[in-house]
Amino acid sequence: NNSSQLSSLPLQILLYVNGIYYIFYFLATLAMIIYKSQVFSYPDDLLAPDLVVLFLMAILEVPQLYLGFKGNLTEAEVPLGLSLGLTVGSVVLCVYLLLWQTYVLWADVLLNAVLLLAYGLESGLKVMAITAFVS
Amino acid sequence: PADVHDAAKARVRSPPAPVTDVARLCVCDLLVAQCDVNCCCDPDCSAEDFSLFTTCSVPLVTGDSQLCSQKAAVYSLDVEANPPERIFKLIDQVNPSIFCIHATNYKQALYLKSPEIPTPENFDQLLAKFGGATFSAEPDSWNLDTDAQNPPDANETSRYEYGVPVQTEDAFLRLPSPVVSSWCSDANPAGFLVNQATKCIRSVSVEKCDSIQALSMLFYINSSILASVFQVNITVQSIAVQSLNGMRTLLSSSDVLRLPMVLDELCINAVLGVNYHITHTDTGEIIEAAAAFVLGAISKEALSIEQSFEISFTQENTQPVPLSGNPGYVVGLPVRAGFQPQGYPFPAAFLFAALALSSNKHSQLTILHSTSTQDCLAAQGARAPVLFGYNMISGCKLRITAAMKCQPLAQTLLDVLKGQSFPEYVASFGNSQAQDVLDWVPITQLHISEQMISHPLQSSCQIPVSLGIEVKWTKYGSLVNPQARIVNVTATITTTTLKQLPSGRERIIPITSSVVFTDISSPAEPSYKAWPTINIKLPFDFFYPFV
Repeated sequence: NNSSQLSSLPLQILLYVNGIYYIFYFLATLAMIIYKSQVFSYPDDLLAPDLVVLFLMAILEVPQLYLGFKGNLTEAEVPLGLSLGLTVGSVVLCVYLLLWQTYVLWADVLLNAVLLLAYGLESGLKVMAITAFVS
Repeated sequence: PADVHDAAKARVRSPPAPVTDVARLCVCDLLVAQCDVNCCCDPDCSAEDFSLFTTCSVPLVTGDSQLCSQKAAVYSLDVEANPPERIFKLIDQVNPSIFCIHATNYKQALYLKSPEIPTPENFDQLLAKFGGATFSAEPDSWNLDTDAQNPPDANETSRYEYGVPVQTEDAFLRLPSPVVSSWCSDANPAGFLVNQATKCIRSVSVEKCDSIQALSMLFYINSSILASVFQVNITVQSIAVQSLNGMRTLLSSSDVLRLPMVLDELCINAVLGVNYHITHTDTGEIIEAAAAFVLGAISKEALSIEQSFEISFTQENTQPVPLSGNPGYVVGLPVRAGFQPQGYPFPAAFLFAALALSSNKHSQLTILHSTSTQDCLAAQGARAPVLFGYNMISGCKLRITAAMKCQPLAQTLLDVLKGQSFPEYVASFGNSQAQDVLDWVPITQLHISEQMISHPLQSSCQIPVSLGIEVKWTKYGSLVNPQARIVNVTATITTTTLKQLPSGRERIIPITSSVVFTDISSPAEPSYKAWPTINIKLPFDFFYPFV
């Protein structure tokens, strides 16, 4: 499948796994923020930005995955390009949660590192797919 | 000077920096420049001091243990070496939990908050926040109701509870009293149903006596008491004028308000004492308030006067009688007693008459009070009230001469033992009202005569030598808060034969009276609620097709 099919199978698998992993990541991070607010001293004006970032990331993730699927399957580079742009936004938010959260627990570090790794691979595969579609 | 002020400001503005290096932290280092015993982290200790220690009281100094990895200072004593030496190690402590704090961007998270150092600028604000007896940890915006509580609304002032300050139009009904020193403080509110009597000293000056508010009658009666839907004015019940030598005269008309004024180098009509009488209903609403004043004159040399204040609360339609407990007797309070009024036939009296109570000390239940002379005939009249729960014994010595006649002596001794008016009834509860005749226990009088068995037929007269009052009481009411209730009172007079003495001889016999309180309460039986029963009945057509 290298002549007729330009869609990238690894990208498809990665997007699918990313979707499932992201659900787990979102619930785990939300639960940990609740845990931190109970156990540590977490003033409201520091809790709000962290929650906003997490929900913003969730809002960005949905169109990113949808556009990624659509672009890859229809072999269209525009949706895939948009998805790549949204991935960059998600990466920035993920880096915030990794480095600049109020309390960064060891579990936070693991989850965010895995997500960053997934985003990195995804971005690389998307770029390759776009070049394949364009050419 | 300005530079001192600036230096003080600079000193004040920088609090000491907190020490966070675990190698330098030492909690057991309490003595300055001296070695603390068994404190291995103390920098003042030398190697010889360490060799004398037995253990390290602080083995580990570490930061917050929730951090994933942190420095820790470990102190231990190596007792194997000779001499024992202290081992200090700086290690990295690792928290293996997956929820350990890897990093934190919130600097105050792991340390206690440094308190604000008071400066002249923020002192007032800090005093308002922390100056009271309590302060809340929540931010101020949450306490929105503190101002809404004064003034109170009308529904709350209608009923007063015990101890609640009596509210008036502007603030509270004031009962000036000494606080800390003997000087009068006007900020003492009168509590509802709290009978108080206070005396305090107020500084005065005769020249300004008409401008000192606390000396004028108006100060004590001008605000009216808030009670239910209307306000109760404080009326002037009576005015007594005290002259300079202390003699008091009751004025016939108490309508005229007498204000202090200066007259002939004296300040007259100055308030020396106020006696408030508040009447209330049984539900706690104040219906009447009256004040009795004692006015006096202050001479020019006086720099201070003593004022006395009293407040008493009476329930409407009752006589103010001091209670000895509510409802059960309180140990140490006098046993209340009374008489049946004369002139009523017995059964009707029991049902309809009220007992005549008297607050006169001499018609309460009293026993003979021993005096220093110990002579019965000379000590007539000294009585002591019987206090609930206190067993008492007292007595005197009677000197009998040959010339004494028996019958008058017997009567005198009976008076000495029983007092002028020995009561007939004793209240079974500390708060028994005189109207409830059934709440009163009659005193049973017994008569025991110690007759000489050898002369049974000799009808010599008997003289009473001892009076024993036995009060039987029981615990009444609930298991956790039992109330004392008097059940039975028996007064036993023991008489003995008076033998005729040969003339010129005299005898001394002891006369005793005693009060004994006996607890006859039966052991309490806790009662339990009945077990719940399961009441199942099948409906009668349960087995319909078959039956």
